[in-house]
Amino acid sequence: MQIGTIESIWRYPVKGMRGEELPHVYTAYTGVMGDRIYAVAAADGDPGHPWHTGRDQEEFVLYKASYGCSEDLLLPPNLDATYSEWEPGIDPIYPDADAFKVSIETPEGVTYDDIENPAFIEDLEKLTGRSLRIHTTQRGIFDARPVSLISPAVAAKLGEELGMYIDKRRFRANFYVDWDNQDDPFYEMSLVGKTLKIGEWLEVMIVERDPRCEMITLDPDTAEETPKLLQHLARKHSGDAGVFAAVLTRGRVNKGDPVILN
Amino acid sequence: MSQGKAKHTGAEAPAGASFRLTLDGTDHSVPITAGETLLHAALAAGIDAPHTCTQGRCGSCMSWLRSGEVTMANTKALSKRKIDRGYVLACQALPSSAEPIWLDFDL
Repeated sequence: MQIGTIESIWRYPVKGMRGEELPHVYTAYTGVMGDRIYAVAAADGDPGHPWHTGRDQEEFVLYKASYGCSEDLLLPPNLDATYSEWEPGIDPIYPDADAFKVSIETPEGVTYDDIENPAFIEDLEKLTGRSLRIHTTQRGIFDARPVSLISPAVAAKLGEELGMYIDKRRFRANFYVDWDNQDDPFYEMSLVGKTLKIGEWLEVMIVERDPRCEMITLDPDTAEETPKLLQHLARKHSGDAGVFAAVLTRGRVNKGDPVILN
Repeated sequence: MSQGKAKHTGAEAPAGASFRLTLDGTDHSVPITAGETLLHAALAAGIDAPHTCTQGRCGSCMSWLRSGEVTMANTKALSKRKIDRGYVLACQALPSSAEPIWLDFDL
């Protein structure tokens, strides 16, 4: 039974920085290809969560991270072959590491052609007063689960309740879904424990609600803080917005794909 | 703009008889006992203070310590910037001096 449609697809090349919208993307067992490949780790950070993000430097959400070969990081080059010749279980080959090179543009317009260029970290250290380093892995660097979903209706509903515009991008999901159920803006909460098929291939299990933190208080265009959003979510909605998913069958997802409840 | 002080020692703190709490534009006088966090005292008084994890991680109970002093065992959800601005996590905040506390959730 179709229960929704993929409204948009997003990935975040650097954890905590601005995301990029995609027309389609391959989603592996380890998450959306190219999602959160890099992170900035702080020496004085919590050992379990050492990442330097907008929680530490609000304007970090305005930093723009771009892959030099973004098109090459949408689908593995041998994806079709793994479906047609090796079904059901062969993982496709990701592009070589060079394809994952990321450039950075700061809110002030300073550009770095490679995040791993020491100049980027050196300048960020001067700016923040923290000892920092780049951490990278093609598996992705996630707080909890590799895939996140939310409906834009959540942002709209919270905005209505607070009397302000709430940009859906505050929630930094991979998949924004327009649910056919228009009566419950938090419909995805009812899907915990359920299995969804997205598009032709991808199957995910919704495993848990997404407990939110300070990141949603930051406007994605200005980095202005709105603490009352997190306070309101905590008081009226148990602090949760959106859900996490685990990938059961990897595959391509397109904007506009149907979401089927298995 | 005056503000309170947050320490991170986690030392045992003396309790005040009550503290001032501002939420939704309303001031409350909240009784508090020794060893009790400001959030726990507020909830015990029936105040709908924002909170979720109560472990200092989510930041939902972040509030402004307008006056007084507290200790916090865990400040994971608070950046140095925020601590410098006088923000505290109510779920972690224990009174640590006799100075009257004023905790403001209306950020």
